[in-house]
Amino acid sequence: MRLEPYFEFAKKAFAREATYRLEVFTEIGSLIVRVYLLRSVWTALYAQNIAPMNLPLHSMITYATVALLMSLILEVDGTRLIREKLREGTIATDLMKPISVPFYFFSDGFGQTGLHALLVIPCILFALLLVHIDVPSAPVFAMFLLSFAVGYLLNFFVNFVMNAIAFWTLETFAIQLIVRWVSDLLSGQIIPLTFFPGVFGRIVFALPFAAIYSTPLLIYVGVIHPQDYGRYLLVQFLWLGLFSTLSLFMWRAAARRVVIQGG
Amino acid sequence: MPPIIRTHDLRKTFRSPKRRPGVSGALRTLFSRAYEEKVAVRDVTMELEPGELVGYIGPNGAGKSTTIKMLTGILVPTSGTIEVAGLVPHERRNDNARNIGVVFGQRSQLYWDLPLVESFELLRAIYSIPKDRYRENLQRFIEMLEMEPFLRTPVRQLSLGQRMRGDFAAAMLHNPRIVYLDEPTIGLDVVAKEAIREFVRHINQDRGTTIILTTHDLADVERLCRRIILIDKGTIIYDGTVDHIKEQYGTHRTLVLTLTEPHPNPVLEETEIESNDRGLVRYRFDRRRVRPDQLIREATERYELRDVSIEEPDLESIIRRIYVEGYEQEPVNS
Repeated sequence: MRLEPYFEFAKKAFAREATYRLEVFTEIGSLIVRVYLLRSVWTALYAQNIAPMNLPLHSMITYATVALLMSLILEVDGTRLIREKLREGTIATDLMKPISVPFYFFSDGFGQTGLHALLVIPCILFALLLVHIDVPSAPVFAMFLLSFAVGYLLNFFVNFVMNAIAFWTLETFAIQLIVRWVSDLLSGQIIPLTFFPGVFGRIVFALPFAAIYSTPLLIYVGVIHPQDYGRYLLVQFLWLGLFSTLSLFMWRAAARRVVIQGG
Repeated sequence: MPPIIRTHDLRKTFRSPKRRPGVSGALRTLFSRAYEEKVAVRDVTMELEPGELVGYIGPNGAGKSTTIKMLTGILVPTSGTIEVAGLVPHERRNDNARNIGVVFGQRSQLYWDLPLVESFELLRAIYSIPKDRYRENLQRFIEMLEMEPFLRTPVRQLSLGQRMRGDFAAAMLHNPRIVYLDEPTIGLDVVAKEAIREFVRHINQDRGTTIILTTHDLADVERLCRRIILIDKGTIIYDGTVDHIKEQYGTHRTLVLTLTEPHPNPVLEETEIESNDRGLVRYRFDRRRVRPDQLIREATERYELRDVSIEEPDLESIIRRIYVEGYEQEPVNS
């Protein structure tokens, strides 16, 4: 496969995102406010002595801040393009081009997240003025990046599946909103999953959402020990395999529907 | 040379769930699905030689777009065969895509948020157009379509005329062998239409590109096409030259007289008065039954005239008649 078109798609998506300058600046602004708020909330909660086992306050604040920075990248839904193209019927013109359409969606989403990834840098600098973040050792950080990358891909495919439902229903907003709420809570983005008690805690860890935020974050703050890395990464890869396969099948079925029923 | 486009008994049937009226009907639809079949294209057989420019004409819902979609490979035929430049489009969608260019008047293939020229660059990458050919084509198109002033404007800010010119350039950058134009001049003003027609003529004549033009604007067809294919209710009802259909259907002419003094009923033999408005009288006559010079002589003998003219039927009035009455090999004259 020639990669040039897909580099171009990513570059154009990057440029397109950059044209919405106001959005970029408000995003940095709101992130700083959220970092400050989270620090206040967790400090207050820890003062009430609700600290869970083995997660001291500075680790908790590190966790919350890194989670926010990750959300800058993960909350960009690069696949919403699918939904828009279906509603406007422009998917037909993409199918008339010599390209792989799912790969086009991926590179477009990648370009969009590229811009937001750049935003992380100024955000880290500002965040450091407000809070202190623990920095792990190099091997742990490398493991965090690997786990985050897998989480990123998994997140892409989960979004792809959500948006591909639009092939049958044309409207997926309600489903997405619900999934969003559930995943915000159950992915460990807001509250570390170690806070969930007993059986409930075990269920939450078994869900795919945990593989997106929780695993890289718990590696970062050292709750997941090096001897358990393999196990957690394996789970992440299993979910990735499952959702990428599901995406592939959904795309095949959807493309078939377009070519048989005319979209 | 073998035909570049060939279809044989091409048929496309759409299946949609049959809906029953009322609440009980809706409930029944939920549990038992009955399907309704609608034949959009029925046994369409056509052949196009390389370099032809053919007008593909028919009323709304006649099956034009469905045919075009099958030719581009994004719709799979229900039955029949289809071949475009030696390929079966829906089996080799990507290879077929390299051979064709498509312009839809109603939807754009340009990238909404980007300056026009960046869409062109993206297309260069998509079709891997060699750099020098890309530059040459782009320069040519910018001149022909006068795109210089808005080349760096985001597409969403372009006027319809500017956007259409952009879309035409976008469809031709990779030198496609075949181009499908679906309602390309819809909603355009006279100047923009003329620029587009000139461009289509250039693409067809100077580059030998085969073009199928779908349109409701028969002036486009009259100006550009020698051959037309008429489709109605999914079936081809005429395939031949514009001249032939005019010859066949244009048996009637209109004689227009301006009388010096208005006359309540200025009869002429072998004619039928279409209208009579304060001395401006329109007569319809069959040119096989009466010669125009005879009519004019008769008119000058009976009435005092200020002006005389004879009008030929245009393609539009002929096609309108065919839509209403249906096409017959030897039309009965009314």
